Amino acid sequence: MKVHLKYLFIIPTLVVLVLVILFPLLYALYISFHEYILIRGIGKFVAFNNYVEEVFFKAESLVSLKNTLVYTGSVVSLELVGAFGLALLLNVRDLKFRNVYLIILMIPVMITPVAVGLMWKLFLNPDLGIVNYFLGLFGVPKRGWFGDPKLAMPTLIAVDVWHETSLILMILVAGLANLHREPFEAATVDGASSLQKLRFITLPLMSPVILVAIMIRMISALKTYDLVYICTRGGPGTKTETLSYYIYKAAFRKLDMGHASAVAYLLLFLILILALVLVKILGRETT
Amino acid sequence: MRVIQRLTRKISRGFIHIILVLCCLGILVPLIWVVRTSFVYRIEAYQIPPKWIFTPTTDNYLTIFSTHPFHLYLVNSLSIALATTLISLAIGSLAAYSFARFHIGGLWFNVGILTTQMLPPITLIIPFFLMARIANLINTRSILIIAYLTFNLPFVIWIMASFFQGIPRELEESAMMDGCSRAQAFLRIIIPLSLPGLLSAGLFSFVLSWNEFLFALILTGKYSRTLPVGIAALVTQRGILIGPVCAGIILVMLPMILLYFFTKTFLIHGLTLGAIK
Repeated sequence: MKVHLKYLFIIPTLVVLVLVILFPLLYALYISFHEYILIRGIGKFVAFNNYVEEVFFKAESLVSLKNTLVYTGSVVSLELVGAFGLALLLNVRDLKFRNVYLIILMIPVMITPVAVGLMWKLFLNPDLGIVNYFLGLFGVPKRGWFGDPKLAMPTLIAVDVWHETSLILMILVAGLANLHREPFEAATVDGASSLQKLRFITLPLMSPVILVAIMIRMISALKTYDLVYICTRGGPGTKTETLSYYIYKAAFRKLDMGHASAVAYLLLFLILILALVLVKILGRETT
Repeated sequence: MRVIQRLTRKISRGFIHIILVLCCLGILVPLIWVVRTSFVYRIEAYQIPPKWIFTPTTDNYLTIFSTHPFHLYLVNSLSIALATTLISLAIGSLAAYSFARFHIGGLWFNVGILTTQMLPPITLIIPFFLMARIANLINTRSILIIAYLTFNLPFVIWIMASFFQGIPRELEESAMMDGCSRAQAFLRIIIPLSLPGLLSAGLFSFVLSWNEFLFALILTGKYSRTLPVGIAALVTQRGILIGPVCAGIILVMLPMILLYFFTKTFLIHGLTLGAIK
């Protein structure tokens, strides 16, 4: 018996993916249709009850949905604008020290999210933190940052921007470097200003790369968990509770696996739908 | 006129440098502050205003290795990241080759890989936790190695498939004309040529595993913890152990930053490979 190599080669991967992804996903789907409090064991079949309860009768799940969307929208747009600006500056011709800047600006990509969260939690500590001390030197009153209901979300977003802008910058810098020179030179000959070149050449040519960067960042922002766990535990109250953290709380604090799995599936669908929208736009842009 | 033009050019260049230097400082100063705090004595770590001149000490590093089992966490982090990376590379590159050369799965391949990148870990962690409990695998390194395959394997396949597509078919075909079998051509010709791709895929998979937090938090216990979970545990109900936390942050960050400096080109190339194509 001779099995063709091309099938032989994908068998190990298929087996692993079925075991570690497909089977767990189906199991989670099964759980989401049941009552399942961990200590009581799996209970009766409730069809879509868990989903309906979470969507229509629990205020907290909607709050965490809102938080997730606010967080994702803010970090993606802030990081995109910041990274695009920096990428353009780095793209200026014959810029001195370009590579030094680039290397330093890329460092955050490599830092463990947990380390970033802890670092800023220390710096932003109301009494012991260096940030309040420095602002105090300029007469700015002490703030609670992560402990302040109004400031907690913006602070969390700022920490994310410090950490993740580098990733988008990396993609955009590579994208800009791959653009052809000719259209720019032709435009220069025709007397176009830098602003016109940016608007009518750089932006249209870069739009597929920008969309891919948005997609990569949006997907990971929608899943945000580490920073929330380290910096705020969703607090104060539920001000910074993202969907991932809400699901974690439901599953591993309240031990309610049924409801947690239902919300986990809703989160998965949210990501798939938003990504699909972006893929559609991407398809239109590239054709 | 020329003079004015040159002057405005100089000024705008100056502004560009100022902005870039400020951004670089924004990244470097916090990191340097963590390094500084990891070397101060306990009392000084809590002092505000901070002391600028201090006698350095390695106390904080000694603390995390003596009162907390950070040597275990370090070994766990290293062995788990290494094991899952090697497994992903071994089976992932086989599959990637099959996808790249024979278009097995076609469109489904692309959709499948893309979907796995979208899977939130929180969706997988619930069934993983329940199954690991039944299989008695909670608090072992094996369960983390398995769990990390969920994101490493698709990632390796994605990078390697685009890498293999860049290698001309003629190379294997001429080897097969000379009497090699397809498997031999793959082993002797494609694999050696793909070493840069394997290296960059492996690096990424190692970094992803090293930095992972959620799976590690839920699936490990006191002795199978990885570094991120170990450091997070230094933030206790009684407060933050500032010095040891900073030492821990340096411990988890340093290998990644060193890796980054030695392999910049590989990493940047690897990451942008999929994005630009």
